[in-house]
Amino acid sequence: MAPSQSRVVAVTGACTFLGGELLRRLEEDPRYGRVLALDVRPPAQVGGKVEFVKLDLTQPSVDGELATLLQRANVDTFVHGAFLAHPTHAAEWAHELEDVGTMHVLNACAGVEPRRFVMVSTTLVYGANPKNPNFLTEDAELRGHRDSRFVNDKVRAERQVQRFAKEHPNTQVCVLRFAPILGPTISNLYTRFFSRVVAPVMMGHDPLMQFVHEQDAAWALQRAVDSDATGPFNIVGKGVLPYTTVLALLGRVPVPMPQIVARQLTKVLWATQLVGSPPSFLDFLLYLCVADGARARRELGFAPRLSIKRTILDFLGVAPEDGATDIARAIT
Amino acid sequence: MTDDDDPVVGDGEEDWFGDADPRVPDARPWPEGSRGLGDLGFLGDYDTPPIPEPADYAPRNAEGEAAVRELERRLEQQRTPAFPIDLRKRLPLEAVWRRWRALAMWGRSDVVDDFGRDPRATARWEWLFEFLYARWFRVHATGLEHVPAHGRALLVANHAGTLPYDSAMVMHAVRRDHPARRDVRPLVEDTVFHLPWLGPIMNRIGGVRADPANAERLLEHGELVAVFPEGEKGMGKLWKDRYRLQRFGRGGFVKLALRTRAPIIPVAVVGAEEAAPMLGKVTWFAKNIGIPWIPVTPTFPWLGPAGLLPLPSKWFVQFGAPIELGDLGPGAADDRLLVNRIADQIRTQIQNMIDGLLGQRRSPVLAAFLG
Repeated sequence: MAPSQSRVVAVTGACTFLGGELLRRLEEDPRYGRVLALDVRPPAQVGGKVEFVKLDLTQPSVDGELATLLQRANVDTFVHGAFLAHPTHAAEWAHELEDVGTMHVLNACAGVEPRRFVMVSTTLVYGANPKNPNFLTEDAELRGHRDSRFVNDKVRAERQVQRFAKEHPNTQVCVLRFAPILGPTISNLYTRFFSRVVAPVMMGHDPLMQFVHEQDAAWALQRAVDSDATGPFNIVGKGVLPYTTVLALLGRVPVPMPQIVARQLTKVLWATQLVGSPPSFLDFLLYLCVADGARARRELGFAPRLSIKRTILDFLGVAPEDGATDIARAIT
Repeated sequence: MTDDDDPVVGDGEEDWFGDADPRVPDARPWPEGSRGLGDLGFLGDYDTPPIPEPADYAPRNAEGEAAVRELERRLEQQRTPAFPIDLRKRLPLEAVWRRWRALAMWGRSDVVDDFGRDPRATARWEWLFEFLYARWFRVHATGLEHVPAHGRALLVANHAGTLPYDSAMVMHAVRRDHPARRDVRPLVEDTVFHLPWLGPIMNRIGGVRADPANAERLLEHGELVAVFPEGEKGMGKLWKDRYRLQRFGRGGFVKLALRTRAPIIPVAVVGAEEAAPMLGKVTWFAKNIGIPWIPVTPTFPWLGPAGLLPLPSKWFVQFGAPIELGDLGPGAADDRLLVNRIADQIRTQIQNMIDGLLGQRRSPVLAAFLG
């Protein structure tokens, strides 16, 4: 363990929600001496211990630059969070940022060997599959998704980090796989999807879904930076709900459609940039992709504080008793 | 759940349309009795009870601590910055929207268990199972005393019929006639579990996809799990093969029992074969619509969807004495020969139970329906 006052943390993707929350939490924590916020634009939290360093992971020579920076600042913990929260049409750029960007980061870390390396990932890397058990543990295969570059770039990044962990036993490598994060401030694929008044339902299918509240997620990331735990961890919320119940709680209008229609329609809407979710996302409305958070509770000391219902209502901005009274009124 | 009943913001009707974000402290006037921002400081929450006057103030430790914890929690919450994503603003017909939410939640509960069983949905289908159990199939269940009142156990039963009515009846028998009224979690084959409409309904009333990881987790939690090791082959049994048990899978259920030290309770179901006598099956178009075959019964597909209704045969369900495998130890699960032998023994036992029940019926043809 490094001397407590001098812990230096470098965070890529400082402008993402989790990056920003982490900066804010590290700023308040006296154990950390210095925080390097690496991103293409300065995050809101700059000041105090937080220093902004402009770094573009899509640049080919960024690894040398980053290695020098890590060496000079004597970075103790590296947090790699430069991942996209929603799919983009600029797939080439996304690939450069997520897959190749991770390679640059690992190249830099291989030389410096920071004490700790934390990566932000998602449970979507398991992929929605009819063969998935109800609770995917961390040992489950990373199936990804056959035609989703959004998911597959993250799978490739994770595989690189796994290889790095094997080759560099001096660095504690910790990967956090977050369930879809919902909350009042975060913006990602799921919050955009659920912000629409209508939502597609695959006719006759109703998989269970799982979310984690944004504050729980930020807390988990802080725990991961603080602790010495290594390996992959599923960071999930409390409880599951069927997709149609989620829509009912949100008051969205479900539009049941046959799979073929839904796929063609989404293809057109995605190509014309009218919706933010690609056709491959429909598989997550067909099959289970729910992870088990037991390992995080055991080894990371993280247990979610908010239930899935509370998370959904907080995302919606509705007081919890609201829906309940409404339902009671409708029944009686 | 404690986190579900915390009052976060007032349920004010007036801020549904207004520009006020309930997280912003100045959105509404302070209620009488509170002292405004000065006292509540960082909170900005108008639902907090007013701080008592010094005269009637008495140290109340437990409550005080709870209040401090509540303040800490709110402080934590306050760190979430107010951000103008107020989705309600996108829905101008607020009253309609509220009514819609209430209607959409009808018949479903906002809490389901880990495997997706919805208590309210289960209650909604209860009458159907009760009708099938008591009136339609007139199920005669025996040996229920062998089912433990608590703790894990693995029910192993034979399987027949075009639709899994037999698993529903085993479930309902334990829920209705067992003194502990336990819930059985049947493991459902993939083909049925992913059938449109039927799969989600089965999941809501307690069915779980047949997966070793799921079964193990359920047993670890001390649940009653029902398996039908014949699986798809059992359901696709033709009329001429009725009451002849098929191969018991690859003995996965024995491995499961050995690993989790759960007792195996053999269950024989008689009557399901006559409820939907499968005369033949068509496979050529079935794969295209995602099912392994299209059954041909005396009523299906001739009567359309109504042909899927079961015939009113008389059913017998017998629960056998539990078989304890615990003394073999979890290592025995890797012994393939042993696993296969145990699976075969259990299969023979269930076959004998079936033959016994068939012998009880008065005559082989009409008796299937009259009992």
